[in-house]
Amino acid sequence: MRTPSTLNKTKRMFRILLLGLLLLLGLFSFSFAADTLHVRDSLQSAINNAPPGSILYLESGIYEQETIYVRTPGITLTGRKDAVLDGGSERAILIIKADNVTVKNLTFRNTGISFRHDFAAIEVRNAKHFEIRKNTLEKNFFGIYLSEADSGLVVENSIKTTGTREANTGNGIHLWNSNYVNIEDNYIRGHRDGIYLEFAVHAHISNNISEHNLRYGLHYMFSDKSVYKENIFRYNGAGVAVMYTQNVTMRDNIFENNWGPAAYGILLKDIDNSVISNNIFRNNTIGLYSEGSNGVDIHNNLFQQNGWGVKLFANSTRNVFTKNSFIENTFDVATNSRQHNNTFKSNYWSKYTGYDLDGDGIGDVPHRPVRLYSLVVQQNPVSLILHRSLFIDILDIAERVIPALTPETLVDSTPLIKDPLK
Amino acid sequence: MKTIIASLFLILILSACNPGPQDVTIGHDECAHCRMIISERPFASQLVSTTGKVWFFDSVECLAAYEIADSVEEGRIHSRWVPDFPNPDTWVPVHDAFFLHSSQLRSPMGLHLTAYSNETTAIEHQAEFEGTILDWQQVMTLTQKHWFD
Repeated sequence: MRTPSTLNKTKRMFRILLLGLLLLLGLFSFSFAADTLHVRDSLQSAINNAPPGSILYLESGIYEQETIYVRTPGITLTGRKDAVLDGGSERAILIIKADNVTVKNLTFRNTGISFRHDFAAIEVRNAKHFEIRKNTLEKNFFGIYLSEADSGLVVENSIKTTGTREANTGNGIHLWNSNYVNIEDNYIRGHRDGIYLEFAVHAHISNNISEHNLRYGLHYMFSDKSVYKENIFRYNGAGVAVMYTQNVTMRDNIFENNWGPAAYGILLKDIDNSVISNNIFRNNTIGLYSEGSNGVDIHNNLFQQNGWGVKLFANSTRNVFTKNSFIENTFDVATNSRQHNNTFKSNYWSKYTGYDLDGDGIGDVPHRPVRLYSLVVQQNPVSLILHRSLFIDILDIAERVIPALTPETLVDSTPLIKDPLK
Repeated sequence: MKTIIASLFLILILSACNPGPQDVTIGHDECAHCRMIISERPFASQLVSTTGKVWFFDSVECLAAYEIADSVEEGRIHSRWVPDFPNPDTWVPVHDAFFLHSSQLRSPMGLHLTAYSNETTAIEHQAEFEGTILDWQQVMTLTQKHWFD
């Protein structure tokens, strides 16, 4: 039985609920109405007059004006896909100098080209919490340029240009002194370096495709504690270069089809205490090249059909190679010295000629991956002409039986019989 | 007549022997110090040995670092060359060059160094981009401080 007092209680509760609902609705309508301003021309004055937090929606058309500056925080620039910001081949297009700015769904083309100025389609300068999403960038000198820009997102952009050999192209995505930036799901093609990082700590780079760039797909200097995973770097002039950096994680990337006299799947120069795992290095002149790099843990990678799988300079120490698969490389491992302080254990070598009598999956005789011939080639590149000759085969077999010149310590004493990646 | 031709040939041969700066192939040659492919002519530098061997560098700072790291013996160095920043096809010996160290001018390895064949242009660029004008010895000290100390 309901007494009048309980009836009153339910009524009161109902009223409170209703009030709450109304309040919520009010809030929603407020944020929706917020302030979408439609822009047809004179973009700069529209931006200058917009209050903080406004959304500017660009209607179709070509916006060809002076370099546009965003100085108001919280502005969102978006619009129809055929809203094009054009740099007239003579200037930078958009420069963001305020926090919390978003640039979305726009097309940028034709920045100027200059030796002295790094003209970019979208530049974020000394600002935080930016978001650059789903834009189309065509024929620009630099694509997205972040300098002293922290904690932002660069996501799902398409960045293309058609650079020639001379230095008239800048980088696709360029970071300088910018920390905590996420670069995800972008497509970059034809720039000098696809993605370039200099002094960019805690960068997170994933799921990008960077190809047909003139120099490097990814180029990285002085950028500690960064992660890059699940990217594809292919057909770049010189592959990928990672230099002067500590504590990097590189996993599940694909490095392929980087051919040329100085082309590497990945070039490690002065890299310390890092992890390289589960990557694919396929069809490169050199899969992994290491100079002056120490304490790198290299495991579960596939090195397949490279000229050189791994080229390891003697000034690289304490690097550990485990459970990698070396399949059909002309040279699996090459080095420049007999002295070595790196470890190879439990890798799979398609060239392994030993046996496994006790059937424990581990070869009973150690494998020496450095061919004598690779030392000969190292000293005298012209001798490559002897490749696949009987003489070289005999030389290699003799050296394998009685190692005299190849590094004594560079040996895998537990080579795997089965490919761990299959 | 014969002697003239012969002496002409001799002059030609001798001048060919004199070590000097060589052409850098942009986008192809590798920096001898940092291994980067050289891609910007206004910074590409070089070191020439007494026997005419040439090492190319992607930047002024790498040229300095190569020497600081003792990668080449002092006695083997014939000359060191940097490009005139506004006219990068002109090679300038480092001891005749003026260097600008300005945070507004990016250089390939991040030490913000550009080179000039004459002081006037260096001062003009300093007026535009700020920074300090250095000589070669100061460039060596700067590189030492940033990369080696």
